[in-house]
Amino acid sequence: MSDAYVQRDAALFAPIAQTGRGFYFTLVVLGIAILWGAVAYWTQFEQGLGVTGLQQPVSWGFYVTNFVFFIGISHAGTLISAILRLSKAEWRRPITRMAEVITVMVLFIGAGQILVDLGRPDRMLNVILYGRYQSPLLWDATSISTYLTASTLYLWLPLIPDIAILRDHLGKRRFLYSVLAMGWTGTERQQKILNRAIAIMAVLVIPIAISVHTVVSFVFSMTIQPAWHSSIFGPYFVAGAIFSGIAALIVAMAIIRRIYRLQAYLKPIHFRYLGHLLLVMTLLWFYLTFAEYLTGYYGNGPEEMKVFWSKFTGRFWPTFWAMAVCNFVIPMIFLVRLRHHAVGKTVVASVAVVIGMWLERFNIIVPTLSNPRLPFPDAIYWPTWIEWGETAGSFGLFILFYVLFVKFFPVISIWEIREGREVGLREVEERLLSYLPDGTEPEPARDHTRVLR
Amino acid sequence: MNGRPSTFDRAVRACQLAIAALTVFFVGSIVVWIAHLIRTAWRLDDVPSASIGISLVAIPVFLVLLGVIVSVFWGLLTERRTR
Repeated sequence: MSDAYVQRDAALFAPIAQTGRGFYFTLVVLGIAILWGAVAYWTQFEQGLGVTGLQQPVSWGFYVTNFVFFIGISHAGTLISAILRLSKAEWRRPITRMAEVITVMVLFIGAGQILVDLGRPDRMLNVILYGRYQSPLLWDATSISTYLTASTLYLWLPLIPDIAILRDHLGKRRFLYSVLAMGWTGTERQQKILNRAIAIMAVLVIPIAISVHTVVSFVFSMTIQPAWHSSIFGPYFVAGAIFSGIAALIVAMAIIRRIYRLQAYLKPIHFRYLGHLLLVMTLLWFYLTFAEYLTGYYGNGPEEMKVFWSKFTGRFWPTFWAMAVCNFVIPMIFLVRLRHHAVGKTVVASVAVVIGMWLERFNIIVPTLSNPRLPFPDAIYWPTWIEWGETAGSFGLFILFYVLFVKFFPVISIWEIREGREVGLREVEERLLSYLPDGTEPEPARDHTRVLR
Repeated sequence: MNGRPSTFDRAVRACQLAIAALTVFFVGSIVVWIAHLIRTAWRLDDVPSASIGISLVAIPVFLVLLGVIVSVFWGLLTERRTR
């Protein structure tokens, strides 16, 4: 690779090569949030779950809400990236890496929520030694570990050529980059191996991602609790996960674009296209939510209706209607017309969706547990500073992981941008011609000889 | 120049092999764990069909992941040696 390429994409190296005061300030702010979370967890570990707002029958509160939320956000990445990669959507090039990083980081945080939720984390060993596969909780453990492995691999594989570029041109952290580049020199054989592996992973990761959130939904729907025992919970959770994932990706893109001045790479058109996807998911989410609630309402089961009315007009109306506004009203207002101010509009809608989807997870979990089928006395769940601290710490940790990734690795794929310039333009033209009545099919073998040096 | 790898190159190589071994060990231990759960369910006659059903999906997926990992490690690392 010539230095001209490095010069041309110097903006992509800048976050790694230079460290401003803002970076350290961010670390301090995140450090405070993480410290709060650590103190909260230590208090809970020492004194037990009694220091939280959790009680019988509401034994799942913020922690499981965070778990479902973070696992949902993880669909940002791999799923969106894989689908765009397989469908050869050329506009994907600057955004796939960002999406893949979100996936891996939030999966760690999401899986960690289960450990936080355990009053006796030392008993986790029993799950490993004597776990029973009849329990959907163990299905979850299996599918999440599959997804985490696959997503990490899917993040690392397309990163290899970029790590090699850093090894050869950055002039620092050479040992780290040399190790992770795995001897990449961009030979034709290496390209073939890597392209094949990326293609396999892109196909494999889609069913894995879908299975993960379906299995997360099974944790609820396999019980006969009111408002949980639903056959559409699988698709409902998957759609919600993709919905929140796209929103999280847009927020991450907007922040990175602004902080690292990457406006030349992350253009309004990227936000517009993702905004259109988000609008489609808004409508799909509304459709599934409507179907879910209408079915429960029409059945008119006494336990089901207690949960139903507690959300619509009862104790949980503020979180329920805030969810409806954030997930439907705001996105509809801001996403319908994206011709102008696409960045600002999609970011407003996305922030609303991220908040709304967290509320949705809360609205699924807490109202049902507050109105169980069994005759428990009335219970009101109100989180203590422990749960707020854990939540702040979890978000802080996720952002910290992300910030550190951006500090060490290119958050926009350098080789994919270069490939877009050198090969993509020609490929798109050929593909377009092949779609037309008088066009010819491009040879499939071409995909295996792309430029990845 | 005598063509022998430097200390830096040897250290890099050692770390790469360690990462490859750890990855294979990680994925391999998950497969072993799932097999252990089937064995436990079978031994206790505790609905082994659930364990077998899930493992029929999970183990092949992990084996495919293992295959991808090994092929990438093997392909990239041996390419460097043959250069």
